[in-house]
Amino acid sequence: PPPANLGRAPGPPDGGWGWAVVFGAFVSIGFAYAFPKGLAIFFKEIQDFFGTSYSEIAWVSSIMLATTYGAGPISSILVNRYGSRPVVIFGGLLCGIGMVSAAFCTSILQLYICVGFITGFGLALNLQPSVIIIGKYFLKRRPIANGLAMAGSPVMLCTLAPLNQFLFDNFGWRGSFLILGAILLNCCVAGALFRPIGAATASVKTQATQEEKDALKAEVTKDAMEMSSPTKVTVEAKTEEEGGKDCCEKINQYLDFSLFKHRGFLIYLIGNVLMFLGFFAPIVFLAPYAKHIGIDEYSAAFLLSILAIVDMVARPTTGIIANSKWVRPRIQYFFSFSIAFNGACHLLCPLASGYTGLVVYSVFFGLAFGMVCAMLFETLMDLVGATRFTSAVGLVTIAECCTILLGPPIGGTLIDTFGDYKYMFIKCGAVMVLAGTFLFIMNYYNYRMLAKEEKERKAKEEDPKSVRTENEGRNNWNKEAAQDGPELEPLREEQEGLKKEVNGT
Amino acid sequence: TGLGFCISEPMTARQTATWQTQRSPSDHLTLGHHVSTPGPDLTTQEFKEATKENASNVAFLEYEVLLPGECVSGISVAKDITLDKAARIELSCRLDKKFSHLKSLQVTWKRGNETIRHINKTENSWSIQLRILDNSNLGSYSCTLKGEKEISAVFHLQPKIEGKEKPIVSYEGDTAVMICNSLDYTPIAWTWYVTNGSEQIAINDSLLADKYVIDRISANVTHLKILKLTKEDDGVYWCEAAFELGKSKGKLKLKVLSLMVPLKPFLAIVSEVVILVTIVFLYEMYSKKKEKR
Repeated sequence: PPPANLGRAPGPPDGGWGWAVVFGAFVSIGFAYAFPKGLAIFFKEIQDFFGTSYSEIAWVSSIMLATTYGAGPISSILVNRYGSRPVVIFGGLLCGIGMVSAAFCTSILQLYICVGFITGFGLALNLQPSVIIIGKYFLKRRPIANGLAMAGSPVMLCTLAPLNQFLFDNFGWRGSFLILGAILLNCCVAGALFRPIGAATASVKTQATQEEKDALKAEVTKDAMEMSSPTKVTVEAKTEEEGGKDCCEKINQYLDFSLFKHRGFLIYLIGNVLMFLGFFAPIVFLAPYAKHIGIDEYSAAFLLSILAIVDMVARPTTGIIANSKWVRPRIQYFFSFSIAFNGACHLLCPLASGYTGLVVYSVFFGLAFGMVCAMLFETLMDLVGATRFTSAVGLVTIAECCTILLGPPIGGTLIDTFGDYKYMFIKCGAVMVLAGTFLFIMNYYNYRMLAKEEKERKAKEEDPKSVRTENEGRNNWNKEAAQDGPELEPLREEQEGLKKEVNGT
Repeated sequence: TGLGFCISEPMTARQTATWQTQRSPSDHLTLGHHVSTPGPDLTTQEFKEATKENASNVAFLEYEVLLPGECVSGISVAKDITLDKAARIELSCRLDKKFSHLKSLQVTWKRGNETIRHINKTENSWSIQLRILDNSNLGSYSCTLKGEKEISAVFHLQPKIEGKEKPIVSYEGDTAVMICNSLDYTPIAWTWYVTNGSEQIAINDSLLADKYVIDRISANVTHLKILKLTKEDDGVYWCEAAFELGKSKGKLKLKVLSLMVPLKPFLAIVSEVVILVTIVFLYEMYSKKKEKR
């Protein structure tokens, strides 16, 4: 008998094993973001050892960061094909191999390859799947899950920094890389926790398609939640029916380029690419700026610790706030506000005088930074829905890759040209306020367009039965506080197309 | 009364400030004074107050020696001051208040044998100001108080050689690179020494060219590269910078480990990962079986 469950596959569990997945994502995301920053402790020694200049060493970090973000689409394709778990385990292995081979390097070029490319690629295979699987396990509590998972980054950074120092003092840089390789293998443990859910129905999909379609037709109004398996199945069913796959369709299976026609996705892309120009530079230059105005090295380093601690607390808190029923429907506004708030902090930083001023700045910066990071992926999921999120995140990270890499060097050039740090802060602040404002306005427009499309769709429906059920469905949706409004659009479009097809055959 | 048997007060009793190295300047004296105590070398530090002195960020430091007034004729107090960057220095000799009754004191400041003219005098202290920007003003400065007795104090200004405080860790068969930096002051020559027992033996890199390589990377920086490390290379190394008016040394420690040392934690962590992954997968199979029932 056909599995009756498939048509009304339960929505994301929103709990249970999901919390174990959040923990795994916490570890995985933590390593992906914190590890490149933590490596900076070794650079001076490696620079002396190989006799290179500082900028040549800094390339190691840049290559690693570039690979982690640039390999996003590859990560997305692999997750689309194989699911999160194998990809993360493979990523963890790759990281371990990269760092262990780095321990035996004899030239800076080998370091670029081992630490930069191999480990960077491994981290990319960790980052994307972790974010993706949260979308598969959570819906109602997704902002909280995202906030908790993203909190991994500051926690790992606070752990890795003293750990790296300890390893370096006791084992030198080679021994440290060896041990760090082993530590990175813990990503495999995180990956093991990513039990596949929903999408692993490849074998039964063909027999279930007919039942799927019927079930979907009936269930469309009742199901207020996104399902990953049915829509994926319908995409495949469509292509099989058309017989002979179109090239674009085939690529779209692996990486959904049709996202570039998605209004919400484009808004997010442009806003974020702009934001990242000013996002990381202040962190990079906070300690040098503190030293520049006369603060000693330890206190300057302490500023970054304050930032990390506030960040750690801000992320889950933002997740909880974003999940509340007042904020969740308007989460895009909240996101734009936090970006603009971040920008405002930077603009006010040059006014901070002395150590106390900088401490206040660090606290607010930590808060704003945490708010933005916690919602970074949540808002994208909200706009495109969990299925298309897999491809969306890959495309977004490769676009962000360029501006992330450009941000600190541009800031550095401004500092060198003018000899003053304030222009860098002004540039970062201005860019972020601009990005925040852009996102706010465009999302307002987007929300209105979505509401308009809803009304049009409602008006177009002629079948009284479907109108009634649609209205019921609409009421259900309204009850759920329209939290799934924007994300359900792709699901609804698919199902509309499906309905028409089924009616046609 | 001063006749006959004189007891000179022990110098250490006059310590009026504790010395801390590498701490934030706000921890102790806020005036930028360092009242010197006989004993350990002083090391200069940047001070917050100094940065507002002039735009070129040159530190302004003051050193003061408290002189005994009694019965210690001819004794010199010697102070070694190591400088790690260009600075404006004020050296002052101060006489303890209780000895201010000693009349007709003549104070001279000298650098070597050269007398210095511009002396600032306050009630009980005499000071000179120096700009130390490069090697030319380094050396020994002395203040001599001539009264009934002659008391003098000497300040030895030496550049600090920056080595490494923490030991450099390296592995057998690997190469180690040790770097010494003389910061703002350019030495005439560098020499490297290895400590053998209690002796310091100079390293001759032309003699042992396949073991040691000495490079003078820039005027102020020297590299010692030790190839094919063995356990015997473990120990303390010294780099000595020779200046016109003296020498300064920097200390470095080298630790040579065998490859087994990091391998143990590595294997421990790898086995932990394997165990955890196995547990997770076993739990998953167990809960799936439970579900099927």
